[in-house]
Amino acid sequence: MSVTSEAPAAFRNAAARPTPLGLLTEAIRDISSRRRLVRYLVQAEIKKRGANTLLGNIWWILDPLLLMVVYVVLVTIITTRALPDYPLFIFAAILPWKWFTAAVTDATGSIVNHHRLIKQIAFPKIVLPVAATTAGVVGFAFGLIPLAAIMLLYPHRLTPLILLIPIIAVVQYVFTVAVAILVAAGNVFFRDLGNVVRHLLRLWWYLSPGLYALSHLDGIALFENPVLRFIAHANPFAVLFEAYRSVIYGTPQGSPMPPDWASLAILFVASTVFLAIASVAFKRLEPTFAKVL
Amino acid sequence: MSDRPPPITETDHAIQASDLGVRYSLRFSRKKSMQRTLSQLLTREPVEQFWALRHVALRVVHGESLAVIGPNGAGKSTLLQVLAGIISPSEGIVDVRGHVSALLTLGAGFDVELSGSENILLAGAFLGLDDQVTRDLQPGIIEYADLGQFIEAPLKTYSSGMRARLGFAIATSVDPDILLLDEVLATGDASFRAKSKERVLELVGGAKAIVLVTHDMEWVREYCNRAVLIEHGQIAFEGDPDEVVALHREHTADEKKRKAADASAAGLAPVIAR
Repeated sequence: MSVTSEAPAAFRNAAARPTPLGLLTEAIRDISSRRRLVRYLVQAEIKKRGANTLLGNIWWILDPLLLMVVYVVLVTIITTRALPDYPLFIFAAILPWKWFTAAVTDATGSIVNHHRLIKQIAFPKIVLPVAATTAGVVGFAFGLIPLAAIMLLYPHRLTPLILLIPIIAVVQYVFTVAVAILVAAGNVFFRDLGNVVRHLLRLWWYLSPGLYALSHLDGIALFENPVLRFIAHANPFAVLFEAYRSVIYGTPQGSPMPPDWASLAILFVASTVFLAIASVAFKRLEPTFAKVL
Repeated sequence: MSDRPPPITETDHAIQASDLGVRYSLRFSRKKSMQRTLSQLLTREPVEQFWALRHVALRVVHGESLAVIGPNGAGKSTLLQVLAGIISPSEGIVDVRGHVSALLTLGAGFDVELSGSENILLAGAFLGLDDQVTRDLQPGIIEYADLGQFIEAPLKTYSSGMRARLGFAIATSVDPDILLLDEVLATGDASFRAKSKERVLELVGGAKAIVLVTHDMEWVREYCNRAVLIEHGQIAFEGDPDEVVALHREHTADEKKRKAADASAAGLAPVIAR
């Protein structure tokens, strides 16, 4: 009796060039057939984060809170007039952003850090960045605890609309996986990508309406340029932050309202296409990983 | 290179490769920085290429045990990686029929924060085993690895010998049609080595086809019914294990002599006097 569930026959012809569609189907099959592996990797990642620190998994909750305090102090000192209920205003952006940066940073090293394994076992490498991104979801979920705590301080902003958070999170997840698998593959060939990514992420955060509202850009002369204005509004995190903030915070004067469904839908479709392209690129590069690492 | 091309019509082969080649492009060789890669792209410096294997034709039928021998860096491990599906060929065709288990190195995929028993599940998932199958195999693996209480302790508390034992127990727990072995017999302490040799022999008895890369010539002569000698990425000779081993020894001796001659020509004393 044989116990492996690998395909019993493997035929590889160097002359065969798989089509993009074939690669995409393969990527989907890779993930769906290795769901269990993704789950174990996510569990291992969560366990690891809690293992080496005194407070363990409490950091999932403390981290976004402390970051919020830093930004509240910073912005109140610099601008001297913060928006009303400002902690909640920025927490609505810090939470998704922390998920995104953690996922992308972890994904960057996910392939390279498993270099020994990749040279020893044949398995679909795409599970590694997908697991890194999915582990971030857990951090995001934990972050909902401090969010609930902060909401209690501003009961007038609490509405059933916060139940829409998971829908916005799905859009963010699709976008994040696409970015994650691209940087994971890229880092195999350019090891300094990690440094580049770190700085790009920081720049991206300040260029996205996290600490300020998107409408704040209207007052800046630079953004009267139509091209810059379009980029600022098409920024996926402009759409996401505005959506999260709409259901969690609302506007400075008013209470929460439903997100801008149209732009969210456009972002979802664009992210799905982006994810398909990223998967095909990943599958194209995958055969060379074992040689380059 | 083998001068007799393998027949293509027969269907009972376990492994068949024809005109197999693996090329390494050195543009992205390991740990090269972006600066260097970019400057190479800009100056259009020709990319160095290296054929780790070329024009390799190989055929292993069911019931055969093939030894792959040759000097270091000849391409033996690359060949196993291609057969295991870890590397895809740059040219040629490789056809592997049956469940493959590759014992290339032990302890692959271990996570040091997880316990031994959790690592068994993780390794099983990496190997593509069904979860239920891994759970069924788990008690046997734990028993064979013989780690006592440590099986529930994180792997970072293990000694290297304990890790090797767990790795070996996992890797040999599956019952493959085709077994690929790469020098795994040289791990662990003396008593475990004896135990592991026994286990490998069991697997060898059960597997339908085996490809073994080793430097242990006694093993080759004792347990393999065919051998190939790989030199510089090509099959230099193929045939009876005794003949191939003898030829390999001859070539190694020649090589030593040549190196010694080169060294003395360069005015250096030979480092190894033998």
